[in-house]
Amino acid sequence: MSDVKSVQPPQPDGARFGASSGEGLPAHAPATYYERPLLKKPHWEWEVVTYLFMGGIMGGTGMLVALADDTPEREADLARSARYIALVLAAACPAILIKHLGRPERFLNMLRIFKLKSPMSLGVWALIAFSSPAAVAAAGQASRDGLLPGWIAKLAPRPVSNLLQGAFGAFIAGYTGVLVSATAIPIWACGKRHIPGVSVCSGLASACALNAAVLALTGGSQRTLRKLELLELVASISEAAILESFRRHAGSIGDPMFRGKRGDKLRTFTLFGGIIGASVLNLLPFGGKAKTVLASTLTLVGGYVLRETIIESGKASADDPRAASRQPE
Amino acid sequence: MASGFFTDTTLCIGCKACEVACKQWNQLPADGYEFSGNSYDNTMALGGTTWRHVAFVEQAAPPEAPPTDTKWLMMSDVCKHCTNAGCLEACPTGAIVRNEFDDVFVQPDVCNGCGYCVPSCPFGVVDLITHADYDAGRGFSLDGRTNDDATQSRGGVAGKCTLCYDRQKVGLVPACAKACPTDSIQFGDVAELQARAKKRVETLQARGVESYLYGADDGTSVGKLNAFFLLTEKPEAYNLPERPVLPSTRQPAGYLTATFAGAWLAVAAFFIFKFRT
Repeated sequence: MSDVKSVQPPQPDGARFGASSGEGLPAHAPATYYERPLLKKPHWEWEVVTYLFMGGIMGGTGMLVALADDTPEREADLARSARYIALVLAAACPAILIKHLGRPERFLNMLRIFKLKSPMSLGVWALIAFSSPAAVAAAGQASRDGLLPGWIAKLAPRPVSNLLQGAFGAFIAGYTGVLVSATAIPIWACGKRHIPGVSVCSGLASACALNAAVLALTGGSQRTLRKLELLELVASISEAAILESFRRHAGSIGDPMFRGKRGDKLRTFTLFGGIIGASVLNLLPFGGKAKTVLASTLTLVGGYVLRETIIESGKASADDPRAASRQPE
Repeated sequence: MASGFFTDTTLCIGCKACEVACKQWNQLPADGYEFSGNSYDNTMALGGTTWRHVAFVEQAAPPEAPPTDTKWLMMSDVCKHCTNAGCLEACPTGAIVRNEFDDVFVQPDVCNGCGYCVPSCPFGVVDLITHADYDAGRGFSLDGRTNDDATQSRGGVAGKCTLCYDRQKVGLVPACAKACPTDSIQFGDVAELQARAKKRVETLQARGVESYLYGADDGTSVGKLNAFFLLTEKPEAYNLPERPVLPSTRQPAGYLTATFAGAWLAVAAFFIFKFRT
């Protein structure tokens, strides 16, 4: 029995099934099965792209709610707008997921179980854990703004909702990256140390952009706008650095994302528009509201194109049987 | 006790009786009449409503080798019913379960069509049956119940081999194994099948036929496959991954990366908000 190859312990040069060395087998073995895909493509269309995009902004906005200093002489204007924006997105995110699933009841199937091993299950529960305090915090804000009766504000203690929105917001900004990396799709799988980081950075950069645009249009203070622009710059530069590190790490597996038409689109809208273009605009010492809105638009378009590129390049990557045969650890 | 398949490709004659029996028993729609040009394989891949797929490789001998080196490989592919199943771990609804026979089963009435299992299968087995499939007459019903939810919504449901859960429950052999005329597909207790498979490899080695078992050992993170194979070529030749990886093993690195990025940005934001005036 001991001379049977298949019953030997795993080979030291990386775990795999059987015929590890290929010895004894003819050298003219075909390398693929008629070049046909080994893996199945994800069926995710614009709904999922939009969810990843909005979820990123929602998560980043939650972080802003938690980190802004909510006193009138500091960033109370940001804390205020971020609470409202977070609520709007918390309503929009489940709506887009339901659109993706087809029928509202199907969303409830997700709530049957809580599963640590499934990032999608954790994400749905995080969405609920985020939207509940988001609703309470927005109601409290509306109460302080005179839109709702004053006693409501007393029922919504800010330290608690700030903490919950910050913690679950950060999780929501990051888990979508873990969700795609924890699949067999080669380009996503080899990005397990990059895509989650890109998700968080892009989410926060887009959140800064959206909040800055809203603040610019609703009379927020210049001081707060400058801070948001600086934070967006840090997030955008981090995003670009991780993307470049991913491009180098992935090598040819990264081609569906970084080469060809998809690569051109990513460079044009995300790198030149959303990261470089918006940062240069933000650093200009003049321009006023229009400049802020333009810079924010560039960042948001870049953020959407990034998510779209990640999903679409995953579909292309699934078609490569060679990358799919030796799957990234 | 785990039940499963031992598919011995050296016995396969490419008759596709397994494909037909599977379609018949599970009331799955036909795949259409597309001509692939790839030997006798017009089925081309496993799919949401295609749960057995016979692969054909006509492998000509190289010029310097004797013509008898020409090989014609045939292999009936199926869901592997992994010990550590990527689809089952990914499923956020609990629709994908491990049943009492240790096989991986999709409950069509619980599945909400999110599609996360599809890219999570390291073997490219499970697929979504979409609304378009139903429109084109490629939907399916299971256990006599038409899946209303799937027929009415765009999302569809996930579909893959059930290892004939319904037949097993009444003590019957799965349809494909029952129909196989050469016993290339053998059904039974996995431990027993493995013992039989190892003997078969020894017999073939003694006759000078190089062969090995694919999926009978714990060598990879997906663990032993309840549906394993005896192959005479490298796995890629049959469109099987040489090194399958359980996707969830990447989660710790992923969460750690997200945490570092989040912490870095939170610290940056803290200082920007705190000290910049």
